[in-house]
Amino acid sequence: MVDPATTQRWLYRLLFVALAAALLFLRLLPLDMTPAALPGPDLLLCLSLAWVQRRPDIVTPLLLGTLLFLSDMLLGRPPGLWAALVLIAAEFLRSRHQGAAEMPFAIELSLVASAVIALAVAYWAALGIFTIPHPGLDELMMRAVFTLMAYPAVVGLSRLAFNIRRLSPAEAEPGGLR
Amino acid sequence: MARDRNSQVDYARPVRRILIGVLVVLMLGTFLLWRIDSPRVERFRATLVDRVVPSFDWALLPVTKLVGLVEGFQSYARLSEQNQELRRELRQMKAWKEAALQLEQENAKLLDLNKVRLDPKLTYVTGVVLADSGSPFRQSVLLNVGARDGIIDGWATTDGLGLTGRISGVGRTTSRVILLTDSNSRIPVTIQPSGQQAILAGDNTAAPLIEFLESPDQVRPGDRVVSSGDGGVFPAGLLVGQVALDPERRLRVRLAADYERLEFLRVLRSHAHEVITDTGGLIAPPPPAPVAEAAEPEAAVEDADG
Repeated sequence: MVDPATTQRWLYRLLFVALAAALLFLRLLPLDMTPAALPGPDLLLCLSLAWVQRRPDIVTPLLLGTLLFLSDMLLGRPPGLWAALVLIAAEFLRSRHQGAAEMPFAIELSLVASAVIALAVAYWAALGIFTIPHPGLDELMMRAVFTLMAYPAVVGLSRLAFNIRRLSPAEAEPGGLR
Repeated sequence: MARDRNSQVDYARPVRRILIGVLVVLMLGTFLLWRIDSPRVERFRATLVDRVVPSFDWALLPVTKLVGLVEGFQSYARLSEQNQELRRELRQMKAWKEAALQLEQENAKLLDLNKVRLDPKLTYVTGVVLADSGSPFRQSVLLNVGARDGIIDGWATTDGLGLTGRISGVGRTTSRVILLTDSNSRIPVTIQPSGQQAILAGDNTAAPLIEFLESPDQVRPGDRVVSSGDGGVFPAGLLVGQVALDPERRLRVRLAADYERLEFLRVLRSHAHEVITDTGGLIAPPPPAPVAEAAEPEAAVEDADG
Protein backbone atom coordinates (compact mmCIF):
# COMPACT_ATOMS: atom_id res chain seq x y z
CA MET A 1 0.00 0.00 0.00
CA VAL A 2 1.08 3.56 -0.64
CA ASP A 3 1.12 5.53 2.55
CA PRO A 4 -0.60 8.95 2.47
CA ALA A 5 2.56 10.92 3.28
CA THR A 6 4.27 9.53 0.17
CA THR A 7 1.24 10.28 -1.99
CA GLN A 8 1.15 13.81 -0.69
CA ARG A 9 4.85 14.25 -1.34
CA TRP A 10 4.47 13.12 -4.93
CA LEU A 11 1.50 15.43 -5.41
CA TYR A 12 3.58 18.34 -4.14
CA ARG A 13 6.37 17.37 -6.51
CA LEU A 14 3.92 17.44 -9.40
CA LEU A 15 2.72 20.82 -8.21
CA PHE A 16 6.29 22.12 -8.14
CA VAL A 17 6.90 20.92 -11.69
CA ALA A 18 3.61 22.46 -12.81
CA LEU A 19 4.46 25.81 -11.22
CA ALA A 20 7.93 25.82 -12.78
CA ALA A 21 6.41 24.95 -16.17
CA ALA A 22 3.86 27.74 -15.78
CA LEU A 23 6.62 30.25 -14.97
CA LEU A 24 8.65 29.13 -17.99
CA PHE A 25 5.54 29.35 -20.13
CA LEU A 26 4.79 32.90 -18.96
CA ARG A 27 8.36 33.91 -19.71
CA LEU A 28 8.11 32.50 -23.23
CA LEU A 29 4.87 34.32 -24.12
CA PRO A 30 5.57 36.57 -27.10
CA LEU A 31 3.95 39.73 -25.71
CA ASP A 32 6.42 42.52 -26.18
CA MET A 33 9.68 42.23 -28.05
CA THR A 34 11.16 45.59 -27.06
CA PRO A 35 13.99 45.17 -24.57
CA ALA A 36 12.75 45.94 -21.06
CA ALA A 37 14.35 48.86 -19.25
CA LEU A 38 14.52 46.89 -15.99
CA PRO A 39 15.06 43.14 -15.73
CA GLY A 40 12.24 41.58 -13.73
CA PRO A 41 12.66 39.09 -10.90
CA ASP A 42 13.74 35.52 -11.57
CA LEU A 43 10.64 33.87 -10.14
CA LEU A 44 11.84 30.33 -10.80
CA LEU A 45 14.85 31.01 -8.59
CA CYS A 46 12.60 32.47 -5.87
CA LEU A 47 10.32 29.47 -6.00
CA SER A 48 13.20 26.97 -5.88
CA LEU A 49 14.93 28.66 -2.96
CA ALA A 50 11.70 29.15 -0.99
CA TRP A 51 10.55 25.57 -1.40
CA VAL A 52 13.93 23.98 -0.87
CA GLN A 53 14.11 25.54 2.59
CA ARG A 54 10.56 24.70 3.56
CA ARG A 55 10.08 21.28 2.10
CA PRO A 56 13.47 19.78 1.26
CA ASP A 57 11.75 16.41 0.88
CA ILE A 58 9.78 17.71 -2.12
CA VAL A 59 12.43 19.61 -4.02
CA THR A 60 15.01 16.89 -4.52
CA PRO A 61 18.31 17.74 -6.23
CA LEU A 62 17.45 15.58 -9.23
CA LEU A 63 14.09 17.29 -9.78
CA LEU A 64 15.51 20.77 -9.27
CA GLY A 65 18.52 20.05 -11.48
CA THR A 66 16.39 18.73 -14.33
CA LEU A 67 14.05 21.73 -14.21
CA LEU A 68 16.90 24.22 -14.08
CA PHE A 69 18.75 22.54 -16.93
CA LEU A 70 15.59 22.53 -19.05
CA SER A 71 15.05 26.22 -18.37
CA ASP A 72 18.68 26.91 -19.32
CA MET A 73 18.08 25.15 -22.61
CA LEU A 74 14.75 26.83 -23.37
CA LEU A 75 15.76 30.35 -22.37
CA GLY A 76 18.92 30.34 -24.47
CA ARG A 77 21.40 30.63 -21.62
CA PRO A 78 24.75 28.83 -21.72
CA PRO A 79 23.55 25.30 -20.93
CA GLY A 80 24.32 23.98 -17.48
CA LEU A 81 26.18 26.88 -15.89
CA TRP A 82 23.29 28.69 -14.24
CA ALA A 83 21.67 25.36 -13.35
CA ALA A 84 24.80 24.11 -11.59
CA LEU A 85 25.25 27.37 -9.68
CA VAL A 86 21.63 27.46 -8.52
CA LEU A 87 21.79 23.80 -7.52
CA ILE A 88 24.86 24.49 -5.37
CA ALA A 89 23.16 27.52 -3.79
CA ALA A 90 20.01 25.51 -3.08
CA GLU A 91 22.03 22.74 -1.45
CA PHE A 92 23.86 25.31 0.66
CA LEU A 93 20.54 26.73 1.90
CA ARG A 94 19.18 23.24 2.48
CA SER A 95 22.16 22.32 4.64
CA ARG A 96 21.68 25.52 6.69
CA HIS A 97 18.26 24.20 7.67
CA GLN A 98 19.30 20.71 8.58
CA GLY A 99 19.80 21.46 12.29
CA ALA A 100 17.47 24.28 13.20
CA ALA A 101 13.78 23.56 12.79
CA GLU A 102 12.75 27.14 13.25
CA MET A 103 14.53 30.06 11.71
CA PRO A 104 13.34 33.69 11.86
CA PHE A 105 12.33 35.01 8.48
CA ALA A 106 14.78 37.93 8.68
CA ILE A 107 17.70 35.53 9.00
CA GLU A 108 16.37 33.38 6.20
CA LEU A 109 16.00 36.44 3.98
CA SER A 110 19.55 37.55 4.65
CA LEU A 111 20.80 34.04 3.87
CA VAL A 112 18.85 34.03 0.62
CA ALA A 113 20.11 37.52 -0.18
CA SER A 114 23.72 36.47 0.20
CA ALA A 115 23.06 33.36 -1.92
CA VAL A 116 21.33 35.29 -4.72
CA ILE A 117 24.01 37.96 -4.86
CA ALA A 118 26.78 35.36 -4.77
CA LEU A 119 24.97 33.58 -7.62
CA ALA A 120 24.91 36.75 -9.72
CA VAL A 121 28.61 37.45 -9.10
CA ALA A 122 29.64 33.84 -9.74
CA TYR A 123 27.60 33.70 -12.95
CA TRP A 124 29.09 36.96 -14.16
CA ALA A 125 32.61 35.85 -13.27
CA ALA A 126 32.22 32.44 -14.94
CA LEU A 127 30.89 34.01 -18.14
CA GLY A 128 33.77 36.46 -18.07
CA ILE A 129 36.38 33.77 -17.54
CA PHE A 130 35.04 31.72 -20.43
CA THR A 131 34.80 34.88 -22.56
CA ILE A 132 31.15 34.49 -23.37
CA PRO A 133 29.27 37.68 -24.33
CA HIS A 134 27.34 38.48 -21.16
CA PRO A 135 25.24 41.13 -19.47
CA GLY A 136 27.04 43.56 -17.19
CA LEU A 137 27.37 43.05 -13.47
CA ASP A 138 25.09 46.03 -12.83
CA GLU A 139 22.28 44.43 -14.83
CA LEU A 140 22.70 41.09 -13.06
CA MET A 141 22.74 42.87 -9.68
CA MET A 142 19.55 44.71 -10.61
CA ARG A 143 17.96 41.38 -11.40
CA ALA A 144 19.18 39.93 -8.07
CA VAL A 145 17.63 42.87 -6.21
CA PHE A 146 14.30 42.38 -7.98
CA THR A 147 14.47 38.67 -7.21
CA LEU A 148 15.00 39.44 -3.52
CA MET A 149 12.08 41.87 -3.51
CA ALA A 150 9.86 39.17 -4.96
CA TYR A 151 11.08 36.52 -2.51
CA PRO A 152 8.80 37.34 0.49
CA ALA A 153 5.79 37.45 -1.83
CA VAL A 154 6.67 34.03 -3.25
CA VAL A 155 7.08 32.63 0.27
CA GLY A 156 3.76 34.12 1.39
CA LEU A 157 1.90 32.90 -1.67
CA SER A 158 3.25 29.36 -1.37
CA ARG A 159 2.21 29.41 2.28
CA LEU A 160 -1.30 30.71 1.60
CA ALA A 161 -2.13 28.95 -1.62
CA PHE A 162 -0.30 25.63 -1.26
CA ASN A 163 0.33 25.41 2.50
CA ILE A 164 4.08 25.16 2.01
CA ARG A 165 5.53 25.61 5.47
CA ARG A 166 8.39 24.16 7.38
CA LEU A 167 7.54 20.78 8.89
CA SER A 168 7.97 20.28 12.60
CA PRO A 169 10.66 17.75 13.50
CA ALA A 170 7.96 15.24 14.31
CA GLU A 171 6.43 15.50 10.85
CA ALA A 172 9.68 15.77 9.00
CA GLU A 173 11.06 12.60 7.55
CA PRO A 174 14.69 12.90 6.76
CA GLY A 175 14.51 9.96 4.38
CA GLY A 176 13.09 12.04 1.56
CA LEU A 177 15.66 11.25 -1.02
CA ARG A 178 15.26 10.76 -4.72
CA MET B 1 9.04 0.24 8.84
CA ALA B 2 10.57 2.39 11.56
CA ARG B 3 13.85 0.51 11.43
CA ASP B 4 13.83 0.80 7.70
CA ARG B 5 13.65 4.55 7.96
CA ASN B 6 16.47 4.70 10.45
CA SER B 7 18.73 2.69 8.26
CA GLN B 8 17.93 5.06 5.43
CA VAL B 9 19.12 7.99 7.50
CA ASP B 10 22.61 6.56 7.52
CA TYR B 11 22.78 6.39 3.75
CA ALA B 12 20.78 9.47 2.95
CA ARG B 13 23.41 12.14 3.33
CA PRO B 14 26.35 10.53 1.52
CA VAL B 15 24.11 9.34 -1.29
CA ARG B 16 22.66 12.81 -1.59
CA ARG B 17 26.14 14.31 -1.66
CA ILE B 18 27.18 11.96 -4.45
CA LEU B 19 24.00 12.65 -6.40
CA ILE B 20 24.50 16.41 -6.17
CA GLY B 21 28.15 16.07 -7.09
CA VAL B 22 27.30 14.00 -10.15
CA LEU B 23 24.59 16.45 -11.20
CA VAL B 24 26.85 19.48 -10.86
CA VAL B 25 29.67 17.76 -12.73
CA LEU B 26 27.27 16.75 -15.50
CA MET B 27 25.96 20.30 -15.84
CA LEU B 28 29.37 21.92 -15.81
CA GLY B 29 30.49 19.25 -18.28
CA THR B 30 27.68 20.24 -20.63
CA PHE B 31 28.69 23.86 -20.21
CA LEU B 32 32.31 23.08 -21.07
CA LEU B 33 31.25 20.95 -24.02
CA TRP B 34 29.08 23.83 -25.20
CA ARG B 35 32.03 26.19 -24.90
CA ILE B 36 34.31 23.86 -26.85
CA ASP B 37 31.90 22.49 -29.44
CA SER B 38 29.08 24.99 -29.50
CA PRO B 39 27.39 23.96 -32.81
CA ARG B 40 26.71 20.43 -31.62
CA VAL B 41 25.14 21.50 -28.32
CA GLU B 42 23.22 24.29 -30.06
CA ARG B 43 21.83 21.70 -32.47
CA PHE B 44 20.75 19.66 -29.47
CA ARG B 45 19.14 22.79 -28.02
CA ALA B 46 17.31 23.49 -31.27
CA THR B 47 15.98 19.92 -31.28
CA LEU B 48 14.87 20.22 -27.67
CA VAL B 49 13.12 23.54 -28.27
CA ASP B 50 11.59 22.02 -31.36
CA ARG B 51 10.16 19.24 -29.22
CA VAL B 52 9.02 21.29 -26.22
CA VAL B 53 7.73 24.64 -27.39
CA PRO B 54 5.25 23.57 -30.09
CA SER B 55 3.62 21.38 -27.42
CA PHE B 56 2.87 24.63 -25.57
CA ASP B 57 1.45 26.07 -28.76
CA TRP B 58 -2.20 25.39 -27.95
CA ALA B 59 -1.83 27.53 -24.83
CA LEU B 60 0.64 30.12 -26.11
CA LEU B 61 -1.61 31.46 -28.84
CA PRO B 62 -4.85 31.97 -26.86
CA VAL B 63 -3.08 33.61 -23.91
CA THR B 64 -1.16 35.93 -26.21
CA LYS B 65 -4.37 36.84 -28.02
CA LEU B 66 -6.16 37.41 -24.72
CA VAL B 67 -3.51 39.83 -23.49
CA GLY B 68 -3.61 41.54 -26.87
CA LEU B 69 -7.38 41.87 -26.49
CA VAL B 70 -7.05 43.50 -23.08
CA GLU B 71 -4.47 45.91 -24.42
CA GLY B 72 -6.71 46.64 -27.38
CA PHE B 73 -9.57 47.34 -25.01
CA GLN B 74 -7.49 49.82 -23.10
CA SER B 75 -6.71 51.64 -26.29
CA TYR B 76 -10.44 52.09 -27.04
CA ALA B 77 -10.42 54.75 -24.35
CA ARG B 78 -8.15 56.88 -26.48
CA LEU B 79 -10.11 56.21 -29.63
CA SER B 80 -11.13 59.71 -30.68
CA GLU B 81 -7.67 61.01 -29.96
CA GLN B 82 -6.13 58.28 -32.09
CA ASN B 83 -8.65 58.94 -34.83
CA GLN B 84 -7.60 62.55 -35.17
CA GLU B 85 -3.99 61.61 -35.10
CA LEU B 86 -4.55 59.06 -37.85
CA ARG B 87 -6.39 61.58 -39.99
CA ARG B 88 -3.51 63.97 -39.69
CA GLU B 89 -1.08 61.25 -40.61
CA LEU B 90 -3.25 60.19 -43.52
CA ARG B 91 -3.14 63.68 -44.97
CA GLN B 92 0.63 63.64 -44.81
CA MET B 93 0.71 60.19 -46.32
CA LYS B 94 -1.36 61.29 -49.29
CA ALA B 95 1.19 63.93 -50.09
CA TRP B 96 3.92 61.34 -49.85
CA LYS B 97 2.00 58.88 -51.97
CA GLU B 98 1.71 61.45 -54.72
CA ALA B 99 5.43 62.07 -54.56
CA ALA B 100 6.15 58.36 -54.54
CA LEU B 101 4.00 57.72 -57.60
CA GLN B 102 5.73 60.44 -59.53
CA LEU B 103 9.10 59.12 -58.52
CA GLU B 104 8.11 55.61 -59.44
CA GLN B 105 7.12 56.65 -62.95
CA GLU B 106 10.28 58.61 -63.37
CA ASN B 107 12.31 55.69 -62.05
CA ALA B 108 10.64 53.28 -64.45
CA LYS B 109 11.43 55.54 -67.38
CA LEU B 110 15.04 55.95 -66.38
CA LEU B 111 15.50 52.24 -65.81
CA ASP B 112 14.05 51.55 -69.22
CA LEU B 113 16.52 53.95 -70.76
CA ASN B 114 19.43 52.54 -68.83
CA LYS B 115 18.89 48.79 -69.28
CA VAL B 116 19.71 48.29 -65.62
CA ARG B 117 19.62 44.71 -64.36
CA LEU B 118 18.14 44.78 -60.87
CA ASP B 119 18.59 42.16 -58.19
CA PRO B 120 16.15 39.29 -58.56
CA LYS B 121 13.15 39.74 -56.29
CA LEU B 122 13.48 38.07 -52.92
CA THR B 123 10.94 35.42 -52.09
CA TYR B 124 9.93 34.75 -48.54
CA VAL B 125 8.40 32.34 -46.06
CA THR B 126 6.14 33.82 -43.41
CA GLY B 127 6.15 32.38 -39.90
CA VAL B 128 4.13 33.00 -36.75
CA VAL B 129 6.01 34.11 -33.65
CA LEU B 130 5.68 31.25 -31.18
CA ALA B 131 7.67 32.39 -28.20
CA ASP B 132 9.87 35.06 -26.76
CA SER B 133 13.44 34.47 -25.56
CA GLY B 134 12.15 34.56 -21.97
CA SER B 135 15.29 36.21 -20.67
CA PRO B 136 15.76 39.93 -20.05
CA PHE B 137 19.30 39.82 -21.45
CA ARG B 138 18.49 38.15 -24.73
CA GLN B 139 16.36 39.46 -27.57
CA SER B 140 15.17 36.68 -29.79
CA VAL B 141 11.92 35.07 -30.90
CA LEU B 142 10.95 31.59 -31.99
CA LEU B 143 9.17 31.12 -35.32
CA ASN B 144 7.02 28.18 -36.29
CA VAL B 145 8.92 27.53 -39.52
CA GLY B 146 12.07 25.47 -39.61
CA ALA B 147 14.22 23.14 -41.65
CA ARG B 148 11.01 21.48 -42.90
CA ASP B 149 10.18 24.75 -44.67
CA GLY B 150 13.69 25.13 -46.03
CA ILE B 151 14.85 27.75 -43.54
CA ILE B 152 18.63 28.14 -43.40
CA ASP B 153 20.78 29.82 -40.75
CA GLY B 154 21.63 33.43 -41.47
CA TRP B 155 18.59 34.41 -43.53
CA ALA B 156 17.15 37.85 -42.86
CA THR B 157 13.71 38.39 -41.36
CA THR B 158 11.46 41.43 -41.69
CA ASP B 159 8.05 42.30 -40.32
CA GLY B 160 6.95 43.46 -43.75
CA LEU B 161 8.22 46.98 -43.20
CA GLY B 162 11.65 46.87 -41.64
CA LEU B 163 14.39 44.39 -40.91
CA THR B 164 13.92 42.63 -37.57
CA GLY B 165 16.83 40.21 -37.34
CA ARG B 166 18.35 37.06 -38.71
CA ILE B 167 17.85 33.34 -38.29
CA SER B 168 20.18 31.72 -35.82
CA GLY B 169 19.39 28.15 -34.94
CA VAL B 170 17.03 25.98 -36.96
CA GLY B 171 15.06 23.03 -35.66
CA ARG B 172 12.81 20.80 -37.73
CA THR B 173 9.67 22.87 -37.22
CA THR B 174 10.97 25.92 -35.39
CA SER B 175 13.72 28.43 -35.84
CA ARG B 176 15.14 31.17 -33.66
CA VAL B 177 15.48 34.76 -34.82
CA ILE B 178 18.13 36.94 -33.17
CA LEU B 179 16.59 40.41 -33.12
CA LEU B 180 18.61 43.49 -34.05
CA THR B 181 18.35 44.66 -30.43
CA ASP B 182 20.17 41.59 -29.06
CA SER B 183 23.65 42.30 -27.78
CA ASN B 184 25.07 39.64 -30.13
CA SER B 185 23.58 41.15 -33.27
CA ARG B 186 25.93 42.85 -35.76
CA ILE B 187 24.57 43.87 -39.15
CA PRO B 188 26.35 45.77 -41.94
CA VAL B 189 24.31 48.83 -42.93
CA THR B 190 24.45 51.78 -45.28
CA ILE B 191 23.27 55.24 -44.22
CA GLN B 192 21.32 56.57 -47.09
CA PRO B 193 21.99 60.06 -48.40
CA SER B 194 25.71 59.98 -47.60
CA GLY B 195 26.11 56.32 -48.55
CA GLN B 196 28.41 55.53 -45.64
CA GLN B 197 28.98 52.00 -44.44
CA ALA B 198 28.64 51.13 -40.78
CA ILE B 199 27.85 48.27 -38.43
CA LEU B 200 24.60 48.19 -36.52
CA ALA B 201 25.37 46.71 -33.11
CA GLY B 202 22.58 45.70 -30.77
CA ASP B 203 23.13 46.47 -27.09
CA ASN B 204 19.96 45.23 -25.41
CA THR B 205 18.19 48.57 -25.72
CA ALA B 206 15.32 49.49 -28.03
CA ALA B 207 17.60 51.45 -30.39
CA PRO B 208 20.83 49.73 -31.55
CA LEU B 209 24.10 51.64 -31.88
CA ILE B 210 25.86 52.61 -35.11
CA GLU B 211 29.51 51.62 -34.96
CA PHE B 212 32.56 51.91 -37.22
CA LEU B 213 31.31 54.96 -39.03
CA GLU B 214 33.86 56.71 -41.24
CA SER B 215 32.80 60.32 -40.77
CA PRO B 216 29.97 60.84 -38.29
CA ASP B 217 29.59 64.51 -39.20
CA GLN B 218 28.07 63.54 -42.56
CA VAL B 219 25.26 61.72 -40.82
CA ARG B 220 22.40 63.56 -39.24
CA PRO B 221 19.34 62.36 -37.30
CA GLY B 222 16.53 61.28 -39.58
CA ASP B 223 18.76 59.71 -42.25
CA ARG B 224 17.53 56.41 -43.60
CA VAL B 225 19.44 53.28 -42.65
CA VAL B 226 19.26 50.25 -44.96
CA SER B 227 21.09 46.95 -44.86
CA SER B 228 24.15 46.68 -47.07
CA GLY B 229 25.19 43.50 -48.79
CA ASP B 230 28.67 43.68 -47.28
CA GLY B 231 30.15 40.30 -46.55
CA GLY B 232 27.55 38.60 -48.71
CA VAL B 233 25.56 37.47 -45.69
CA PHE B 234 22.58 39.75 -45.95
CA PRO B 235 20.45 40.92 -48.84
CA ALA B 236 21.15 44.60 -49.51
CA GLY B 237 18.65 47.43 -49.47
CA LEU B 238 16.27 46.30 -46.72
CA LEU B 239 14.96 49.18 -44.65
CA VAL B 240 16.28 49.13 -41.08
CA GLY B 241 15.21 52.47 -39.63
CA GLN B 242 16.20 56.06 -39.05
CA VAL B 243 19.24 57.57 -37.42
CA ALA B 244 18.63 59.16 -34.03
CA LEU B 245 20.87 60.80 -31.44
CA ASP B 246 20.75 59.58 -27.86
CA PRO B 247 21.29 61.87 -24.84
CA GLU B 248 25.00 61.00 -24.85
CA ARG B 249 25.24 62.18 -28.47
CA ARG B 250 25.89 58.70 -29.82
CA LEU B 251 24.29 57.66 -33.09
CA ARG B 252 21.56 55.07 -32.77
CA VAL B 253 18.92 53.67 -35.08
CA ARG B 254 15.23 53.97 -34.41
CA LEU B 255 14.02 50.71 -35.93
CA ALA B 256 11.34 50.73 -38.59
CA ALA B 257 9.95 47.35 -37.55
CA ASP B 258 7.29 47.49 -34.85
CA TYR B 259 8.94 45.52 -32.07
CA GLU B 260 5.97 45.87 -29.75
CA ARG B 261 3.81 43.81 -32.04
CA LEU B 262 5.78 41.10 -33.73
CA GLU B 263 3.21 38.49 -34.67
CA PHE B 264 4.31 37.38 -38.10
CA LEU B 265 7.78 37.54 -39.52
CA ARG B 266 8.90 37.14 -43.11
CA VAL B 267 12.00 35.06 -43.60
CA LEU B 268 13.66 36.22 -46.81
CA ARG B 269 15.16 33.45 -48.90
CA SER B 270 18.54 34.78 -49.85
CA HIS B 271 20.44 32.61 -52.23
CA ALA B 272 24.15 32.20 -52.13
CA HIS B 273 25.91 34.91 -54.07
CA GLU B 274 27.95 33.94 -57.04
CA VAL B 275 31.54 34.51 -56.08
CA ILE B 276 34.17 35.59 -58.56
CA THR B 277 37.27 33.75 -57.46
CA ASP B 278 39.92 34.20 -60.19
CA THR B 279 41.18 37.22 -61.99
CA GLY B 280 40.13 37.61 -65.62
CA GLY B 281 41.81 35.41 -68.22
CA LEU B 282 44.40 36.85 -70.59
CA ILE B 283 42.82 38.24 -73.74
CA ALA B 284 45.11 37.06 -76.54
CA PRO B 285 44.99 35.06 -79.80
CA PRO B 286 44.70 31.30 -79.18
CA PRO B 287 48.13 29.74 -78.54
CA PRO B 288 49.60 27.63 -81.37
CA ALA B 289 48.88 23.92 -81.03
CA PRO B 290 51.76 22.02 -79.44
CA VAL B 291 51.78 19.05 -81.85
CA ALA B 292 54.21 19.49 -84.76
CA GLU B 293 52.04 17.88 -87.46
CA ALA B 294 49.06 20.03 -86.63
CA ALA B 295 51.11 23.18 -86.80
CA GLU B 296 51.25 23.47 -90.58
CA PRO B 297 47.63 23.55 -91.57
CA GLU B 298 46.89 25.97 -88.72
CA ALA B 299 49.61 28.29 -89.86
CA ALA B 300 48.08 28.23 -93.34
CA VAL B 301 44.71 29.20 -91.93
CA GLU B 302 46.26 32.05 -90.00
CA ASP B 303 47.99 33.29 -93.14
CA ALA B 304 44.73 33.20 -94.98
CA ASP B 305 43.10 35.19 -92.22
CA GLY B 306 45.84 37.82 -92.20
